Amino acid sequence: MEKIIQQAIRRGQSVLSEYDSKQVISSVGITVNREKLAGSRQEAIAIASEIGYPVVLKGCSDKAAHKTEMGLVRLKLGNAEEVMKAYDEIMDKGFTLDGVLVGEMIGGDREFVMGLNRDPQFGPCVMFGVGGIFTEVIKDVAFRIAPITERDAEEMLDEIRLSKLLKAFRGKPAVDRKVLVQALVAIGDLGYRCNEIAEIDINPVIISGNQPVVVDALVVLKHH
Amino acid sequence: MGVSQAVSVNQFDAVDMDKFFNPSSVVIIGASNAKFNLGAMICKTLRDSVNYPGKVYVVNRSGEDVHGAKGFKALKDIQDEVDLAVIITPASVIPGLIRQCGEQGIRNIIIESAGFSEKGEEGKKLQNEIDETACFYQIRIIGPNCLGIVDVHRRFCCMYGSEKIVLPLIQQPGSVSYILQSGGMAEMVAERLTENMMGVNKMVCIGNKSDVDEADLIDYFSMDNTEVIGIYLENVKHGRKLMTSVKQTSKPVLVYKSGKSEAGSAAAMSHTAGMAQNDAVFDGACKQAGMIRLQSPEELHSLPKMFTKMPLLSGNRIAIFTTSGAFGSIGADLLANTDLVMAEFSKETKSKLRQIPGVFNANNPVDIGPAPPEIYLEIYNILITSGEVDGLLHIVGIWQDFVKDVMNALVNFCRRQNKPAALYAYNSMSKLMSARLERELPLFNTAEEAVRALEVSYQQYKYLCQKEEPLWKK
Repeated sequence: MEKIIQQAIRRGQSVLSEYDSKQVISSVGITVNREKLAGSRQEAIAIASEIGYPVVLKGCSDKAAHKTEMGLVRLKLGNAEEVMKAYDEIMDKGFTLDGVLVGEMIGGDREFVMGLNRDPQFGPCVMFGVGGIFTEVIKDVAFRIAPITERDAEEMLDEIRLSKLLKAFRGKPAVDRKVLVQALVAIGDLGYRCNEIAEIDINPVIISGNQPVVVDALVVLKHH
Repeated sequence: MGVSQAVSVNQFDAVDMDKFFNPSSVVIIGASNAKFNLGAMICKTLRDSVNYPGKVYVVNRSGEDVHGAKGFKALKDIQDEVDLAVIITPASVIPGLIRQCGEQGIRNIIIESAGFSEKGEEGKKLQNEIDETACFYQIRIIGPNCLGIVDVHRRFCCMYGSEKIVLPLIQQPGSVSYILQSGGMAEMVAERLTENMMGVNKMVCIGNKSDVDEADLIDYFSMDNTEVIGIYLENVKHGRKLMTSVKQTSKPVLVYKSGKSEAGSAAAMSHTAGMAQNDAVFDGACKQAGMIRLQSPEELHSLPKMFTKMPLLSGNRIAIFTTSGAFGSIGADLLANTDLVMAEFSKETKSKLRQIPGVFNANNPVDIGPAPPEIYLEIYNILITSGEVDGLLHIVGIWQDFVKDVMNALVNFCRRQNKPAALYAYNSMSKLMSARLERELPLFNTAEEAVRALEVSYQQYKYLCQKEEPLWKK
């Protein structure tokens, strides 16, 4: 983790790429979707068949913080042909990329957000809330000052207005709260320990079955 | 390693802090007999309104006496020891005055003048000069840009133009201490004291809080005879220092903070930073540290009586006792919006209640018709000793004068049983006011307020349980 961050700082990056961001958060025990970085069409197909269809392809770069808007995301690809086509489309956009991320497609109706921010008065603080593309509109989030205890994290889960989404819902099982609690504690510890990280945004965390899985993440570095 | 923990560099002991509140001598710098002189108002308040027992000196250009306070042309001419300097002069001369105070051995200064960090670049420069000088002489400063202090028990007041504030305060010494970032709040609290059965211990207006801040004062109030700490904040400078102070006190800390709509950082790159509005973060900090966040400024004066007059609510089961079916339902509705629940009565309790004549409903809410005082007392006894009820919501009409007596008896019974009751009466407001005053009954102005009182009492109880955990040493 230290290596990824130091390297990014040396390169003058202001954020980590999605791939690197996920490496950082999974190094503190947070579950992310299975994925690998492909450097060619053939590699993309090989990774896809290893992971199992359907897959997701995303152009990966620290300059690509808004992948969807830049046309760098292709979802629900069911076979090698689709993967090949998607790979070419992403490369044709003409951005300089680290490669194309080939990842497992996570299905689930419930999406949450977790994050870290540095408050000018309180320092690093952890956020939990309702995630997905409507995060800012729904604006249902809770904060705690890092580091946080498991009890703080439990309270955050109960504090959001839509906390009922964490219970059994429309035939889906109750969310494994323990996993969310441990992830929130880990984010707090990371922010408290690592001064180079300015912000973390983990959105969405999709509930697959009863398990929270991180599908997208962004680590923002401090200005140097 | 992580964040710098903001801790005051010169943590000072209670004796030093005490000199702000209980100085045996004070000099008012800038008080003169000129028209509309604010320093002169302080001299007059000290002599005429609070009858301050210590010595008062003034420093002004001509060295004239002001309202009986001995005048000097310069600080160095005062031969006696001075505990506290109150400065109320144009801002530009203050850095020089701080130096003179330092040379004179004065370590406590209250700067009431405005014109510092709130006044652009020039003011900030002055502020820095003061900070450096104060640091050199190890001087502690309250202010600048503040109204000053009242200590009701020690009869000290250096608030200018404060007759309206200080007279009701002095008549009713008590145990609630206030830290206010506004003079207007001080006026509001003081004016509503009498009707709220509450006396003040100390009140501090902290202004720009260049040095002494709310956290220092919480530390101080957690050691003196304060029972409840009330705070009005406009901004927080050292968030973690504030949290540490709150965690270390077992006294209830009630805080109202303005500036909820303050926008998050505009340049934020992530969703998280975009939504990390100052208010949401402060809310989390309150819950972690154990600070009760108030919903309105009025709660600063309406809620403390729940803590000073009643034991804490140590469980969430509430019984409603009422003489009105309507208010029984309203009370139940109000409780439904909190983390309190309607107590469920056992068969035994219900059958005991049924045996009492005049009980319309032996379930919760307990609803009674016209009944003599013994009936009230018997029901209180059944409910509170049942083991099924943690606190009482008491909503009655004063249909006979004896109702005031039974409320009085209830309050005493609650104290003995260590279970609280929140009282509201839906008629006879004038009678009620006098009952509140004569009998010191913790009566609330509305049913909502009474329910809120139970809610915050329970919140404080839970905070105390949580404070036993060493949260920061995990």
